[in-house]
Amino acid sequence: MIRFQARFVLALVALALSPSLPAFGAAPLIDDEEAAAEEEEKEPKDRYLVVLGADIHTGNGEVLRDGRLLAKNGKIVAIGYDDFEVPGLDYDREVPADERGYELEILDASNVPNGRVYPGMVAFSSSGLLGGGGDYRDSIDMFNRNMLLGLAAGITTTGQTSSTAKLKRYVPGNFSRDYDFDGVVIGGKTLSTVSWGTAASKRSAREKLAGAAAYLRTYRQWQVDVKKDKELKEPSKSGVDSTMLAVLRGEIFARFSADYQDDLSGIARVAMEFGFRPVITGCREGWVVADELGRAGAMAVLTPRTRRSKDEQLVAEGGSSIENAAILHSHGVQVAIIPGSRGIDLGGIAGRDIMHLPIEVGFAIRGGLPDDAGLASVTTVPARLLGVGHRVGTLEVGKDCDLIVTDGDLLHYQTFVQYTVVDGDLVYDKQDELYFAHIRPRDDSLLAPLVPFDPAEVPIEEEGDDEGEDSEEGDDEDE
Amino acid sequence: MKNRTTQLLLFAGLMALQPNAQAGDLFAVQVERAETISHGTIEHAVILIEGDKIVMIGEDLAIDSGIPVIDKDPGWVATPALVNPYSRMGLSSRGPSGLNPQRKVSGELYTGAISKDVLEAGVGTVGLYPAGTGIPGRAVAVRTWGSGDARILRDDVYMKAMMRSDSTSKKTWRKGFEEADEHKEKETKNREKWEKDREKLEKDAKDDDKEKADKAKEELKKPYTPLVPKPAAAAFASLREGELTALIGISKSSDYVHFLDALGEEDVQWSLHVPISRESDLFHVKEQEALKDRHVIMTPAFSYHPGTLRRRSMAAEFFSAGAKVTFVPTSDSTGAHESWLRDVGQLVRDGLDSQAALRAMTLNGAEVLRVDEHVGSLDEGKHANILFFDGDPFAATTNLEAVLMEGDFITGEVDR
Repeated sequence: MIRFQARFVLALVALALSPSLPAFGAAPLIDDEEAAAEEEEKEPKDRYLVVLGADIHTGNGEVLRDGRLLAKNGKIVAIGYDDFEVPGLDYDREVPADERGYELEILDASNVPNGRVYPGMVAFSSSGLLGGGGDYRDSIDMFNRNMLLGLAAGITTTGQTSSTAKLKRYVPGNFSRDYDFDGVVIGGKTLSTVSWGTAASKRSAREKLAGAAAYLRTYRQWQVDVKKDKELKEPSKSGVDSTMLAVLRGEIFARFSADYQDDLSGIARVAMEFGFRPVITGCREGWVVADELGRAGAMAVLTPRTRRSKDEQLVAEGGSSIENAAILHSHGVQVAIIPGSRGIDLGGIAGRDIMHLPIEVGFAIRGGLPDDAGLASVTTVPARLLGVGHRVGTLEVGKDCDLIVTDGDLLHYQTFVQYTVVDGDLVYDKQDELYFAHIRPRDDSLLAPLVPFDPAEVPIEEEGDDEGEDSEEGDDEDE
Repeated sequence: MKNRTTQLLLFAGLMALQPNAQAGDLFAVQVERAETISHGTIEHAVILIEGDKIVMIGEDLAIDSGIPVIDKDPGWVATPALVNPYSRMGLSSRGPSGLNPQRKVSGELYTGAISKDVLEAGVGTVGLYPAGTGIPGRAVAVRTWGSGDARILRDDVYMKAMMRSDSTSKKTWRKGFEEADEHKEKETKNREKWEKDREKLEKDAKDDDKEKADKAKEELKKPYTPLVPKPAAAAFASLREGELTALIGISKSSDYVHFLDALGEEDVQWSLHVPISRESDLFHVKEQEALKDRHVIMTPAFSYHPGTLRRRSMAAEFFSAGAKVTFVPTSDSTGAHESWLRDVGQLVRDGLDSQAALRAMTLNGAEVLRVDEHVGSLDEGKHANILFFDGDPFAATTNLEAVLMEGDFITGEVDR
């Protein structure tokens, strides 16, 4: 307790000293104005980020022990060891940073014990992380606390009602570059909800699908016939459900919300009959009909911690199962995982909100889901569902440089995200933010010193020097 | 200073020579200290006032024997009267939404007046902003006394624009410039057409047909009449030309960043208005280059670093970062005006520079209202709007001894 209090006080001292906070009486830094003006007129410099000192888990199954990853202007350009050259590191070492034609940020994770690099996680859906509403390009709150907490949880991309957006925080201290408004929204609507709750809604969905399928058959026949007779008119779409047409054409996913095995079997049958891949959220009893869902090519969005006993009137198996994700996966169903609450919840019971994606995955793993499928359930699978799998979800050359550095296995409940990178910008460092700096501090820092001391006995100016070990690191943190 | 004294003596002499000059119009106040705001502190200052104007201010000026002198040295501290550039005092809070930059608050002045308590609290000038969302209109700078249009110091002082992090705000702002562009284009086309017509008329004027020629000559005499622009187009054109300034109302840092995005390359004069909330995140943008020397209107309130109980003073931080911090009372109530000095005093005790704080309540507000040639500082030629304190204006024990507005004592028992 005493230790905790000391830390708390220190956190306050650190806040007072932190460079982003007020420094009364400090003369403002006046740069050479002409030089600054010249700088502005030039093309923006290329921006490099190199990540090293940790094991890189690409999300494709490969692990590069103590590998290196290089990003240029937000895109990954190389992953490997020393088979590629890093500007400013492998050459240009002697050239002062401001004389180089590029900017280089080195994210050296060697100070993170058991450091691992993973792709940034993709939340299938969330609320409140972007701070805005409607068109996020024009409404994002780039200083939002919940966005910061989302980044602290390792989330870099999130699905929204009708779009997919990045957690693009305003990079602290980097005001020279304009905020990238156009980089916020990276995908449009990819899922269309199909009502499947009542007998009437099931019938209606089936009729619409049948109508759309019939239209597609005439359309395909027309495509053949029109080559012979160019005057032939395209068949009319009137009366055809445009959503279902898009579903059957593979332009959009049909999204069903269903939990009971009867409903799930019904979805599987209709999907097989009309030939599309259903996305099922909930899917609590999926494990009972996993074979059917697998045959239908279903994709499931699960909350593995859901607990519900089965309907006792049924003789068949039912209810929730911790093995749900594992069984669905083994039957060929792609599984995405999302916690029960989609927002950031700082009150009530901890661990069930969007900040705890890996904890939720941990439950699925406890039920037998393989580790790689567990990682995929919060990276590649939701990325595919949101239509942004070509940009995010794995660490591959050409994809966006959205990654996290953790201090251990991402899916272990004790693991913390230490750094988060979005589009090649370091946007979260655990030691620099108030929220988790004090829990198992990475190394000595003002927010979380390794050796507690009484701030009253320490002259504030010499804060960085009075720590025995790692004092240099402490200074670095304070830059 | 000697030069000034000579001037004064000369001036006083001239006054004596003019039998018509009303001796009652001219008087001097001697105080222990005068905070001029525009040119620092003057110890043992003498302020010479004629009619409603300050005619001279300086240290230990010699006063001609015929002029009444109110001698309050030692004792009094003089400051300019306070200026509140952002208020709806006495007016309805209802207003339209959308793009209405042509609306004028000066048109609704007849609906209400400002409480005398505000005047007696030392507030001499108020900027009344248009109510509503989006771009609801133009503010007017008024005196805190009198009624109707006689109160107006200057009209069209700024165009208010609400900026929130949403598409609507950004679209409203951009639409104004688009309309200005459209008008410009139409105007150019119209002018070209007129010039073409002229060429044709000039040809016709030389025509052999006399009647046709005369008609053409008559037509040629007519001057070009420009098209009447839409109100929004006119307002945004004057914004571009610097005739109108904008006051951007934001509530958090992201609003500001979205405003810059909506503003784009447009070169207009703008100030910021931001109420300080409990967990204001405004510190994120304080180092922005665009905020250097920019007026940032805020309430004198502390906030806490988000998620903590660590107190932060946005006013002090923005002042250190180089912005022209401008204060407004915490609300439009009389009480908020009466406690305005005390509220700012809290920030001063916390480390805000007291000169900057005083400036933030006077001259900076006058600059926002573009009436700084009349009010906001103690300078020759400006309105004699002066407050007299019996000590440091921000000290809790100090009293406001007298309020002088345009040469008349509103409060304070003063012997001449």
